[in-house]
Amino acid sequence: MRPTATPHRTATVGRGLFGGLAAVGRGVSGGLAGVGRASRLGVAAGRSLGKVGMWAPQLSPQMARVGVASVPIALFIATFTGIVMSLQASYTLTGTIPLYFVGVLVSKTMILELGPVLTGLTLAGRVGANISAELGTMRVTEQVDALETLAYDPVAYLVAPRVLAGTIMFPVVALLAVTVGIASGWVAALQLLDMSSAEFVKGLRLFFEPWDVWFCVIKSVSFGFVVTSVGCFCGLSTRGGAEGVGRSTTRAVVASSMIILFLDAVWAAVLL
Amino acid sequence: MDRRRDALVGAVVILGVLAGITGSVWLASGWGSDGQPVRAVTADAGQTMPGAAVKFRGVDVGRVDRVRIAPGGEAVVIEMIVRPDLVLPAAPAVLLAPESMFGDWQAEIVSRDDFPGRVFLERPDLEALPGATLPDMSRLTATADEIARNLTVISDRFRIAFTEETAENLRRAIDNISALSDGLAEIVDQQANRFDDLADGVEQSAQDLGAAARAARLSFERIDAIVQNADVEAMVTDAGAAAANVRTVTEDAGVFLEDLHAAVQRADSTFARLDRLMAAAEAGEGSLGRLLTDPAIADGAEGALAEIRTLLADIRENPGRYLRFSVF
Amino acid sequence: MSIEIRGLRKSFGEKEILRGFDLQAGENEIAAIVGPSGVGKSVLLKHVVGLLRPDAGSVVVDGTTVGESHGSALADLRRRIGYVFQFAALFDSMTVAENVGMGLRRAAGWTPDRIRARAEACLAMVGLEGMGSRRPADLSGGQRKRAGLARAIAFSPKYLLYDEPTTGLDPVTTTSIDRLMLRMRDELGVATLVVTHDMTSAFRVADRITLLHEGRAWFTGVPAEVRSSGDPVVRGFVEGDPGLYYGTGAGEPTAGRPR
Repeated sequence: MRPTATPHRTATVGRGLFGGLAAVGRGVSGGLAGVGRASRLGVAAGRSLGKVGMWAPQLSPQMARVGVASVPIALFIATFTGIVMSLQASYTLTGTIPLYFVGVLVSKTMILELGPVLTGLTLAGRVGANISAELGTMRVTEQVDALETLAYDPVAYLVAPRVLAGTIMFPVVALLAVTVGIASGWVAALQLLDMSSAEFVKGLRLFFEPWDVWFCVIKSVSFGFVVTSVGCFCGLSTRGGAEGVGRSTTRAVVASSMIILFLDAVWAAVLL
Repeated sequence: MDRRRDALVGAVVILGVLAGITGSVWLASGWGSDGQPVRAVTADAGQTMPGAAVKFRGVDVGRVDRVRIAPGGEAVVIEMIVRPDLVLPAAPAVLLAPESMFGDWQAEIVSRDDFPGRVFLERPDLEALPGATLPDMSRLTATADEIARNLTVISDRFRIAFTEETAENLRRAIDNISALSDGLAEIVDQQANRFDDLADGVEQSAQDLGAAARAARLSFERIDAIVQNADVEAMVTDAGAAAANVRTVTEDAGVFLEDLHAAVQRADSTFARLDRLMAAAEAGEGSLGRLLTDPAIADGAEGALAEIRTLLADIRENPGRYLRFSVF
Repeated sequence: MSIEIRGLRKSFGEKEILRGFDLQAGENEIAAIVGPSGVGKSVLLKHVVGLLRPDAGSVVVDGTTVGESHGSALADLRRRIGYVFQFAALFDSMTVAENVGMGLRRAAGWTPDRIRARAEACLAMVGLEGMGSRRPADLSGGQRKRAGLARAIAFSPKYLLYDEPTTGLDPVTTTSIDRLMLRMRDELGVATLVVTHDMTSAFRVADRITLLHEGRAWFTGVPAEVRSSGDPVVRGFVEGDPGLYYGTGAGEPTAGRPR
């Protein structure tokens, strides 16, 4: 009854091309299947929100891990981004362009793009990898199965609080990052560019629209959802021991970073 | 431990939300400064948006609070908040204009006495100051384009016909270019402190343009003579000199006046064609007698002159807008 | 009160792991399922708690068809089944006592104090008194297995499933785990399924032994019947003779061993 290996050989000519096409086909179908399974997990997580008793006790610890613990790195990055934006803006805007455009550039780019996207990418590395490695280890050591045998719903107990925490905390962290980024750009403008506070603030206000902040919030909500649900999906679909955990962690970070940049473009096209 | 963590989470969430809300409110409204409301009415808001600066004698005295359509839809009401201690000038009015070349507009509180030539929209029923809006950049480029096209039409007509009437029209066009350059020089004088970097170059160009126009006028007076006296040789010499002059001007002006550049280039080619026409006439080819009396030519030239006048007026008001830079 | 497995079939992709497996286990009985690694023993066990769903056939536990129950019915059923994982599968973010009390936390009527007392009692039962505040990482392999067992019995299950309970343990610890299994049967009166490839352990604890081979219950009998069986596959496995077991005479499988 043992299956015997029957090597199937194609003609050597065209084999490379055929292999390449097959790889593309496998990649596309595999990628789509992954997206399909991940969205099924997302739907399951949404449905499991009804089981409040299951995820509610986990929410605060996850918010602390996903959000509060990410604040220092997010603010660190935002601080330097703000300074760099300010200096580079003043470098670009020479001659007849009024210096207060430094304020415009810093605020617009921080709110619309750098705040949410840099925070999203940083947290994709920090949070996505963390979630994926944790759930992956739980999966390969059968802790996820153990949860099920103890009558826990792993989606409600593990996935829902993480996704919810990410969805809530990403915009909060992004808003803090934007605030700190603009503030650091302001300080840099005052200290290093000989601008007056009034000039910088004038630039800040010149093209500001409250919608920009909503745009930032919407973006980071979607990033939080993507990073955490992709992390959960990659973690839970881990196979094959420590190596598998490593693989799924890498996959989680790469996939969520790519989806973040893709979503960034989509939001810009749809909402602006 | 758990309670401390919960408190930390709560604090971060509240801090984040607070940063978002207070930041937005502060940035959007110029919150924290109170002032007196001032209202103005114009036919068109241009690019004026809430948050735009309100200026008086060049000093920032407040912000535009709201821009709305007046009841009935025939005017725009600009609501501003200005410094509480601001004293409005005699015959106050509001002028909406670009503040810089980057799309941000300002509302300037002025005295109507300083702008006798400008028409301000008045709507006493709305309890608002009279206002006027300077033309939009895009409209002006469109105007320049129109001029260019008209000049092309004229130059094309030259191949077929050259009448006394055409020469007359052309001479008037040249007169206008001369007036334009005078106007430009005047503006540059006036605005020198605002655009001091550019002023020298523009002034030089304007003077060159003026000289060229005068030279061209001379040559067109010779055209009259050609028609009557057939003094072709002198005519061709003059026209050639004029064309060379205009080409020089074009090169100079091109650096600064890109929009105008297009128009002047057309004019340049007109003169060049004229040059060729003269050469052909001298050689005895073609016939000056075969004149086409097409009223469309005159109309086209007339239209072009009207456009040039508009452009001239606008350049006088807003020289800055004819200067283009690549920002990034 | 029984576990009945009938005609169970399960494939993963092209690989057919179970091809019509049948088994019964009743109260106060330990049924051992033996076979070499990768033959599908754990897969079988996971069907019993509904971690996997069968392609065909059925698993009926306590009158409930596992593969067809969902939601709260499945959760109820799982509370009646204790599952001891191969590597214990303790939650390493919690203490041992929290691990043991995990299954009780969401059940009605269990206050934190009561959970703590129950966890301590269960740990005492498996010989881990006073170890409740330790972390799983601080335990030895045998202690982890015991802690896993304590967690499985915390909710007083009627069924206990052991996945390779003695794998990777030294002979002394193996014996003590075997004794523990017998004690659980006697003290709790549970129906037990043990999956193992350790024949010594199987002969020691099992009331009945089933050899899982080629996806079926190849041979079922009391230990004495297994010992005296003339079936080459059974003899090959019991005696550890690959030539007999795989029927090649060469002593090694050629290729493509299932799983």
